[in-house]
Amino acid sequence: MKTQNLIETKNLTKQYGGVRCVDSLHMQVPQGAIYGFLGPNGAGKSTTLKMILGLARPTDGSITLFGTSVNTRNRIRLLSMTGSLIESPSYYGHLTGEENLHILQTLKGCPEADIDKVLKIVRLEEARRKKVNHYSLGMKQRLGLASALLGFPKLLILDEPTNGLDPSGIQEMRELICSLPSEYGITVVVSSHLLGEIDQMADHVGIIRKGQMVFQDTLEALHAHARQQIALRTGRPTDTLSLLRRNGLEAAKEDDYLLMPMIDDERTAALCRQICEQNIPLYRIEKREKSLEDIFLSLTGKETSL
Amino acid sequence: MHSSLIRTIKAEGLKLKRSPVWLTFLILPLISAFFGTGNYLGNQGILQNEWFSLWSQHSLFLCFFFMPALIGTVCSYLWRLEHLRTNWNAFLTAPVPLLCLYLGKLFQAVKVVILGNIWIFILYFLCGKLCRLETDFPPQAPEWFLCGILGGIVICCLQLALSMVIRSFAVPIGIGLVGGIGGMLIVNKGAGLFYPYSLYSVGMRANNPQMTIDLKLFAVSCVCYAVLFCGLSVIGLRRHEQ
Repeated sequence: MKTQNLIETKNLTKQYGGVRCVDSLHMQVPQGAIYGFLGPNGAGKSTTLKMILGLARPTDGSITLFGTSVNTRNRIRLLSMTGSLIESPSYYGHLTGEENLHILQTLKGCPEADIDKVLKIVRLEEARRKKVNHYSLGMKQRLGLASALLGFPKLLILDEPTNGLDPSGIQEMRELICSLPSEYGITVVVSSHLLGEIDQMADHVGIIRKGQMVFQDTLEALHAHARQQIALRTGRPTDTLSLLRRNGLEAAKEDDYLLMPMIDDERTAALCRQICEQNIPLYRIEKREKSLEDIFLSLTGKETSL
Repeated sequence: MHSSLIRTIKAEGLKLKRSPVWLTFLILPLISAFFGTGNYLGNQGILQNEWFSLWSQHSLFLCFFFMPALIGTVCSYLWRLEHLRTNWNAFLTAPVPLLCLYLGKLFQAVKVVILGNIWIFILYFLCGKLCRLETDFPPQAPEWFLCGILGGIVICCLQLALSMVIRSFAVPIGIGLVGGIGGMLIVNKGAGLFYPYSLYSVGMRANNPQMTIDLKLFAVSCVCYAVLFCGLSVIGLRRHEQ
């Protein structure tokens, strides 16, 4: 059975002045997924998420949420099934955490008991009667997540939820997010500019670069790109390249090395024997692994920050 | 729509909890009443029309100077709550119609105007009693009160529209103050019914309690301006982008 996409965008485009911040973006978020929306700063992540939530109007393209094309008539129904935390937490600092949640609970029309539930989930029960202006950054971030969770929406959109958190706060937020699909049946879209973070949270990944989706698949598929290779350094690279070709192995030159696909030990031994038989000096033979970082950089461009 | 409106009104009420904005509505009419009464007692040689004279002194500064700025303060505060941080994101993603979001704020502003007017008339009555005025309390006072509220609603709509667009807290209040002062000049020229900032003072018969106004024209003017400014605000909300 085909999994339904909770979010689907087609040719989604946002242009500010002459600049295309989001450029013909096709995004597909399957139901029940934790979708990691990854990209360097300024790649267009927040703008995309804002367009999905109706906070910014697309210049072109379409957005489908819960199988329904988004328009002004169904905006309220779709928003009632969606929770979000965009950019940084929204809150009224002169009010307590509980009062802030009470405002949102009133607006969302969800049960008052949800306030206790979400406070418990984000572990803010003890600080519920404290003014939010006196909260730490981590507590504000958790309050933001609690606000998004009110009413237990089917879809949760979190834009850089670990921004500004210390390592333990990041770990805590990560654990919370990971538990949401299994415990509450919530589909999560979480954006980040940190590959490691998405690697530990998401099961689906979309990588955006300069407004364009450069990769979109499961995390497994991304890992599959992180393939192993064998690197050879010999005294006569051109002759070695011909020898490899005769053995049905395609290799690429990189600096002083020839990079070829991974082969088993016996085949490697046979290859070394042939190189020596042809009196080609064999200086180095190494196993190389292309990391996720390498892939991310090759997809997003090395000039962009991680 | 109905339940959404009740929800937004309730939510906006919750946001105003512990807000200092109420204090200005308590204090400024008190100052106005204090100086107005002092002025009345000090000039009894000229001001001989008892309750009417007292009202002319009470309402002069209050209606032309204080009230537009006061309403401006409340409206600026109501929008400041959303202008801070990323609160617009939460505000606009609430699952309620945009019209209800706007009306929730308008309701709170109008509530403050009504309570402020009640306070103004309580002070007027008490000051009159303290001055030992011998004539009866003016029977026209309820009409001034109601017309004042209607004119106040127009200023609320206009100030809400300004404060929604202008992120600064002080600028819309300044516009309100200048608008109120300008209202005095326009009332003197007899065009008070056509200028939004003077509708409150015309309704309250500020400085001239024996002035007669065309109530129908007054009501039409108030409704037209209120609808215009509400409409502009909702269009602004629809076009608002984060």
